[in-house]
Amino acid sequence: MKFWGVRLLSFVLAFGFVYGLDVVTQTAFPNLYRLAVLAGLYVTLAVSLNLINGITGQFSIGHAAFYMIGAYAAGFVSQHMYASQPLGPVLWLVVMMAVGAVFAAIAGIVVGLPSLRLRGDYLAIVTLGFGEIMRIVVQNVDPLGGAYGLNVKPFGEPPKILWLVWLLAVLCIAVCRNLLKTSHGLPFIAVREDEVASAAMGVKTSSVKVTAFVIGSAFAGAAGALLAHSETFISPDTFKMDVSFIILTMVVLGGTGSITGSIMAAVALFAIPEWLRTMQVMIPGSSIVAGILAVGIMVSGFRWVQNNYHESVSKRIGAYLACVVGAAVAAVVLSFVLAFIPQLAQQRLDVAMLRMVIFSMVLIILMLLRPQGVFAHHEFSWDWLSKVLRARKGVTA
Amino acid sequence: MNLVAGLDFSILPQQLANGLLLGAIYALIALGYTMVYGVLRLINFAHGEVFMLGSYAALFTSWALGFTPEALKNGAEKPSSWMVLALMLVVSMVVCGLIGVVIERLAYRPMRNQPRIASLITAIGVSLFLQYAGGLFLPQSPPPAISEQVNPYRKDSDNVRLTLKDAPAALKAQAKLLDAEAGKAEAAYRASEQQDPPGHTTAATEDLRQKYQTLERSAQKVEGEVNGQSVKLNIPFGQLIMLITTIVLMLILRHIVMYTRTGRAMRAVSHDFDSASLMGIDVNNVVTVTFLIGSALAGAGAMMYATFLRTNLTPFLGVTPGVKAFVAAVLGGIGNIPGAALGGILMGVVETLVIWLGFSGYKDAVAFVVLIAVLLFRPGGLLGSSKVEKV
Amino acid sequence: MNETVLTLTNATIRFGGLVAVNNVSFSLQKGDLFGLIGPNGAGKTTCFNLITGVYRPTSGVIDFKGQNIGGLPPAKIATLGICRTFQNIRLFPALSVLENVVVGAFLRHTTSLASALCYLPPSIKETRALRQEAFELLEVMDLSDVASVRSADLPYGKQRRLEIARAMATQPELILLDEPAAGMNQKEKEDLQSTVRRIRDDFGKTVLLIEHDMRFVMGLCERIFVLDHGEEIAQGPPEAIRNDPKVIEAYLGEAV
Ligand SMILES: Nc1ncnc2c1ncn2[C@@H]1O[C@H](COP(=O)(O)OP(=O)(O)O)[C@@H](O)[C@H]1O
Ligand SMILES: [Mg+2]
Repeated sequence: MKFWGVRLLSFVLAFGFVYGLDVVTQTAFPNLYRLAVLAGLYVTLAVSLNLINGITGQFSIGHAAFYMIGAYAAGFVSQHMYASQPLGPVLWLVVMMAVGAVFAAIAGIVVGLPSLRLRGDYLAIVTLGFGEIMRIVVQNVDPLGGAYGLNVKPFGEPPKILWLVWLLAVLCIAVCRNLLKTSHGLPFIAVREDEVASAAMGVKTSSVKVTAFVIGSAFAGAAGALLAHSETFISPDTFKMDVSFIILTMVVLGGTGSITGSIMAAVALFAIPEWLRTMQVMIPGSSIVAGILAVGIMVSGFRWVQNNYHESVSKRIGAYLACVVGAAVAAVVLSFVLAFIPQLAQQRLDVAMLRMVIFSMVLIILMLLRPQGVFAHHEFSWDWLSKVLRARKGVTA
Repeated sequence: MNLVAGLDFSILPQQLANGLLLGAIYALIALGYTMVYGVLRLINFAHGEVFMLGSYAALFTSWALGFTPEALKNGAEKPSSWMVLALMLVVSMVVCGLIGVVIERLAYRPMRNQPRIASLITAIGVSLFLQYAGGLFLPQSPPPAISEQVNPYRKDSDNVRLTLKDAPAALKAQAKLLDAEAGKAEAAYRASEQQDPPGHTTAATEDLRQKYQTLERSAQKVEGEVNGQSVKLNIPFGQLIMLITTIVLMLILRHIVMYTRTGRAMRAVSHDFDSASLMGIDVNNVVTVTFLIGSALAGAGAMMYATFLRTNLTPFLGVTPGVKAFVAAVLGGIGNIPGAALGGILMGVVETLVIWLGFSGYKDAVAFVVLIAVLLFRPGGLLGSSKVEKV
Repeated sequence: MNETVLTLTNATIRFGGLVAVNNVSFSLQKGDLFGLIGPNGAGKTTCFNLITGVYRPTSGVIDFKGQNIGGLPPAKIATLGICRTFQNIRLFPALSVLENVVVGAFLRHTTSLASALCYLPPSIKETRALRQEAFELLEVMDLSDVASVRSADLPYGKQRRLEIARAMATQPELILLDEPAAGMNQKEKEDLQSTVRRIRDDFGKTVLLIEHDMRFVMGLCERIFVLDHGEEIAQGPPEAIRNDPKVIEAYLGEAV
């Protein structure tokens, strides 16, 4: 009884969350709705890549390919068949998600097969290459719109898209969480940890890997289907290598293998660039260079404290603060000094352009300071939180 | 069948030569990937960006030497000499070498004891950072290009021409004859045209014009046949310099790796990083030198790419050649220096062949197709050996 | 009662020019406690790799209960009932001790992946049962007190025991132990000896074990096979091996 109670409660919570999101974003300014949709898609992408990359340890860095295949498959089918079938828009979108998922899953098998022979970097490169091949093929296929892109507008505004996007995200999270909660998840982790040993324990490593690819790519494909309909236009440029890198970054920053980490990182990394995009300030180039240098100084300081300064917690926090203050001072001084270089001082730069610079800096800095990712292998759970808090107290006491 | 029928075999040798030249550049970049992978087992994603910065370094050098767009506006001429090219090459190599060393020192060295995926992500981060920071600060709209005039050997008459197979003499004679006749007919027609009253064409002139055009057409047809049956090579002198420079640089590299102390240390580290450091080899030093040399080679490639292939520069310039060079390195067997050279040249040739076959839209995809095929069927690459994991 | 479990007939494997295992033949009866010894680099681990499918034999037959298993994939061989431990410990470091053992037991799962992904009650029940079973094995191996510790954080000796527990969890008929006592102190070795005996006596497994420590092998195994440079140099009961001049020569300088 308790089991079904908990299940019911989680369903209610999930629906409640999406309902709340829907209400809030619709009443606030309209752009927020679109951002919430995209954020949900990125959560799905990150969590599904985490299954392949983090949980199963198959180093895939071409996730955008599955996203693209889902988007194009669903977009193409939708554009040609919606008019001649009886389903209403919402049901049709669900069907399109399935179409996207199926096509992407087939691609997942194709990419999964090399993983049977290749490991690590080599597999990574193959997945990246697969993504690029698919993108170039789409670019050259005229019925798919070629390099110009494909309009996906079978009906007016897609209804309930936010609901579908976030329910997909919740489903993806639930599937991964269920996998880890049951003994069926262990072979996946075992393959990540040691393939030879898992095979010796009778784990069919090939089918585990391909399964991970199929499930992960199916979710990405479903997400792609929703993207096609919510944006109403897709082009090969929507799915460039950078997109794969961003998804990968989300997974790694969150902590490979941690679902919680992937979700948090997806939302955060999606929000940072979008927030920067909305800022409309012009900053002199000299200040930007000063800022970049100051961040560099701060990070070196942090690393020094991390590696060489083994004092009590409060002293170390003090040291970190000193780094921040030092960096701030350096930023001011440097921007003053650099302003004497006319080429820099006269160049005014749009903050929106800076977003990818900041994005990549966040990536490098986090790797330098916490390579295992923010959440490392941990999952958020109340147990874990209380354990961490207790551990912290234990240290300070 | 249809496919083969549509192909123009007479231009194939020229295409292969172009492929070889392009491949030489890929080979130079590939060497950097392979050397770094050899010592650190790291795919240096930022290598393509080092290449990009090298091309900008060459651009700025050419500007500093007076070849700015402003100075050359309106067809102004500026004499150049081989020293301009040499200076651009050296600056580009030095700048790239230093950038490579700085990247290693700041971003890769701290990651050395971390899981491989973490260093790979860092490399991706550095690559993105250089692209977009470059996007902020480097001139890009309109995309600048190194002026053609820095190349003192750009005249058509400087080109190296080779006739591999000539058309039959009879055909050539016929072509010459027809050409002469067409010339005569044209002269007659022009003369008659001159004598006509303005705005009016007499029947005689019209006749002459028809005759001239018929002759001209058949002359062209025979000329086309001659071209179709003869096989010629036409290589701009600049590209020849490029090829020779590449070969010289590779020979120097070979000498360093095979016969110097540093080279021996590099090979030792590449063979077994941990043992090498236990044996008292200064591993950090070796890694620094590796990045220095690898990046400098990319700089040389970048200077030649931007100068002789007349590419427009953008901060994203390095992505595609970078990826292809990486594929070249894997194709040859990553970590294997002669392999990188071979792989680069193969990549260049394959790319031009794909264009020749009429699939130019797919030319960037081919690199990956080759890569996947190699990895699946010969994971160690052409010259590399794949090791079985010891259990 | 004398039922043959495993027979190697002229098993050979080459790595390039090196013949790591050369024409090795031996045979294990059900319930045997069989020792495989030889100097470092003799090819013992390679023998295990041949039996468990990590490497494919260049020639020769490896017969397990009437089936030639030479060259079958490792997972398949594990399903047939052979499991092993690794000389250079290969646990799943991020998993807890208990979870490591559950991976071994997973071979026997009955519910489908789909049911697990939907978190249906049968999968949950099965998970619980497998964990319970794993825990009981840990008790046998004296590891139940560290069940929830990350296996990477275990001390060396316990990691070796965990390797055995994990292999036992697959419920194999034949268990291969690769230097299970390496790096253990005297007390730990004695405990291990009695554990290995229990594996044979109480659980009815056939045991093939590689060990370096002569005292350990001589005190434990009933039959011993000696390899040197990939070739057989002797085979028989411990007393015969101890006095065999060829063995003494191979181990020259080492106390037999
Ligand atoms: N995958 C392999 N490739 C090449 N040589 C190998 C491989 N595996 C084992 N060897 C060689 O086979 C020989 C026997 O090794 P091994 O079986 O590990 O010896 P040991 O008896 O100490 O367990 C050694 O010389 C080893 O180097
Ligand atoms: Mg051994």
